[in-house]
Amino acid sequence: MQTPQAIPVPVPVLRLPRGPDGFSRGFAPGGRRALLRPEAPVAQKGPGQDSLESQEQQARAALRERYLRSLLAMVGHPVSFTLHEGVHVTAHFGATDLDVANFYVSQLQTPIGVQAEALLRCSDIISYTFKL
Amino acid sequence: MAMRQTPLTCSGHTRPVVDLAFSGITPYGYFLISACKDGKPMLRQGDTGDWIGTFLGHKGAVWGATLNKDATKAATAAADFTAKVWDAVSGDELMTLAHKHIVKSVDFTQDSNYLLTGGQDKLLRIYDLNKPEAEPKEISGHTSGIKKALWCSEDKQILSADDKTVRLWDHATMTEVKSLNFNMSVSSMEYIPEGEILVITYGRSIAFHSAVSLEPIKSFEAPATINSASLHPEKEFLVAGGEDFKLYKYDYNSGEELESYKGHFGPIHCVRFSPDGELYASGSEDGTLRLWQTVVGKTYGLWKCVLPEEDSGELAKPKMGFPETTEEELEEIASENSDSIYSSTPEVKA
Repeated sequence: MQTPQAIPVPVPVLRLPRGPDGFSRGFAPGGRRALLRPEAPVAQKGPGQDSLESQEQQARAALRERYLRSLLAMVGHPVSFTLHEGVHVTAHFGATDLDVANFYVSQLQTPIGVQAEALLRCSDIISYTFKL
Repeated sequence: MAMRQTPLTCSGHTRPVVDLAFSGITPYGYFLISACKDGKPMLRQGDTGDWIGTFLGHKGAVWGATLNKDATKAATAAADFTAKVWDAVSGDELMTLAHKHIVKSVDFTQDSNYLLTGGQDKLLRIYDLNKPEAEPKEISGHTSGIKKALWCSEDKQILSADDKTVRLWDHATMTEVKSLNFNMSVSSMEYIPEGEILVITYGRSIAFHSAVSLEPIKSFEAPATINSASLHPEKEFLVAGGEDFKLYKYDYNSGEELESYKGHFGPIHCVRFSPDGELYASGSEDGTLRLWQTVVGKTYGLWKCVLPEEDSGELAKPKMGFPETTEEELEEIASENSDSIYSSTPEVKA
């Protein structure tokens, strides 16, 4: 097969431009212009309050991570749920959605029978327990 | 080897991008700000298009955005009847300047001490940024909403464009010096300090005037209605974009159309050359910014041109998912899966 003549080759690129991270407004301290940032915080907060806030944020992040890992550990295990009006049900845990608004379960044992697949609304659940 | 332009698409905005501006060249490179109808102007690294941050605070579409020369401050003009000044390093809002109608244009003086604003209330306002509480100086005279207001002649004069006129004002006396009338709507205006050139677009025309006398220098006609045009810093090329979604590149001296590029999915609202002239950025109704190389195939920013001798075939190989695969392994895989068409032993045909 003859090589076609002079098909223009697109200019190669190292990567695409990075877009917004989707959760912050940016201006990260580690950027090119980190040296230009004033040492003292510009806002009304003093340095003591600043570290308290960051400590709280770190604690929140750690707790969130633990909770997400607990959900991962539950997958496939039997879980007993305490619902409103003193109702207790057990089921095999499948997954939750992004906002933890619904629990997807299978083999849900209800007072009126066993449901093969079901979605439990988080707002209906008071508590749940499972054995590791 | 002929090379084809690879535009770099900067995503992030959710509505049309209506204005963009570059900073000057700073020790940290140069920066780009984009104004968007989603109310969230964004700051990007100029040579790569990487997002740096979003200025949050406006409650309406942002119609105009600018950076000061060293990219330490940003200013934005919005439909919420305010202009805002921002710290472009931290992203914090520094000042909110209340107006009586939609603000369309903002411009810093060279020393960043004053901000010029213009908008639908038909007034030009000059704010002293060192005295934010003081009332701005006002210049009236426009009979329709101001679309663009720029400092010129070393901040001694002001250029402003409304729907059908471009006016030149003296800063010290706050009076009109000269004006130009058009019978078509003026879509954009750019001021080039070196050479005192004014680039004006209206209809399908791209016109160049002296910024000092407003006398016409030359003009070109494009194939479609043009919304914005920009002149290269060395005045070799100009780029323009408009309603047919395409970008056009012309030789400034001869007026010859050199290249045209498709890529955007909507009308182009703004085009600007970078301060070093190596690339130009376009903002479109499709919500994206695209960066284009002035010299296609040159290694710059994220564009990496590899010559045939240098290229060991790396760019052709799939990089993702095969980090450990050596060249020999790839060839083995290819031969295992290959058809007789690709085998090296020639087949004898009957």
